[in-house]
Amino acid sequence: MRIPGLRPNPHALAGAYAVDALDGTERTRFARHLASCQTCPAEVRWYVATAAELGLAAAVTPPPALKGRVLADVAALSRARSVDAEIAALLSAPDALVASAATSAGGTATVVASLGAAAMVFTGAGLPVLPPSSVYELWFVGAGGARPAGLVPPTPAAVLAAGLSGGDAIGVTVEPAGGSPAPTTTAIVVLTLPA
Amino acid sequence: MEPIRPAPEAVSGGDTGLDALLVLAGHGDQAAFEAVYDRVAAPVFGLIRRVLRDSAQAEEVAQEALLEVWRTAERFDPARGTAVTWIMTIAHRRAVDRVRSAVAAAQREARAASALPSVPADEVAEAVESSLEAGRVRRCLDGLTELQRQSITLAYYSGYTYPQVASALGVALGTVKTRIRDGLKRLRDCLGVRW
Repeated sequence: MRIPGLRPNPHALAGAYAVDALDGTERTRFARHLASCQTCPAEVRWYVATAAELGLAAAVTPPPALKGRVLADVAALSRARSVDAEIAALLSAPDALVASAATSAGGTATVVASLGAAAMVFTGAGLPVLPPSSVYELWFVGAGGARPAGLVPPTPAAVLAAGLSGGDAIGVTVEPAGGSPAPTTTAIVVLTLPA
Repeated sequence: MEPIRPAPEAVSGGDTGLDALLVLAGHGDQAAFEAVYDRVAAPVFGLIRRVLRDSAQAEEVAQEALLEVWRTAERFDPARGTAVTWIMTIAHRRAVDRVRSAVAAAQREARAASALPSVPADEVAEAVESSLEAGRVRRCLDGLTELQRQSITLAYYSGYTYPQVASALGVALGTVKTRIRDGLKRLRDCLGVRW
């Protein structure tokens, strides 16, 4: 029972904190106290380590399929991270060129390209959402025609595409889901990189 | 003085090999993470299943927790605690957050209402895989007072907040805070916990 006018000693919550027995508000309040308390961090660490031992005692072998799912998540996250790193590198490349234009379908298409990296990053803003049967496909358009440069995922994100050559323009078409080896519709936008 | 401890099995509080593996995983080493998985998947899954009392949900939350381990591994600092404590803390927090989320809370409410006030006489008896670790923890829990043991097991293994523990056991809030803290101190000494 809390006595009015008497602030409860936050220190007393060290144990409850370590076993996650505080609700969100109290957890935050105690974490603040922890940051300014001389003796609490060591005490809490002991309790947390002790609680972990309780957890170890509950070990049960999980279904084997869990491992595949976790490792697949980890691999996907790693790929995404390395793509992010490549995108960041490309966006800050010294020879980065930018081209942006409205598309005939609506919205704006933007590419940042580096001939040194032979790659580009495509982003769309406000492009109409396509039905699941269709997809936006990117093309490198050179003297020899259009070469597939990748699909734009339904959740808008930056798309990294390698294989850019000097003199290429970048086209976007709407293709059947899965993409096409060559454009089957008229481009909704063709971006020409500044010389 | 360090009490004599049984030989560690898959994992224990002082597993420096696991610490090193988690540090490697923090640098993006997926093979090291797979080795981490092999060592901790059972305690992570078992603890979460214990708190959620539902294998399907436990698998889902274990997957999220293990992915969080991968994502945050770069922040792991072996000087501030062991890898196994770090990992079990993430797993427990995830399980507790899930159990307290709105939907789960409603379902639990119904179950808790029928379960209360008869607190499971021996939470650990329900355990799962006989192991040295479980036996050790069991013996140490048996060494606590009834109120300490029930407070800790309801908070840690059932994900109760300490006010919920207080109402389940029909004791004052302050009593629960103290019993959890005192109980953790005794467990720490009994288990010879290191961090």
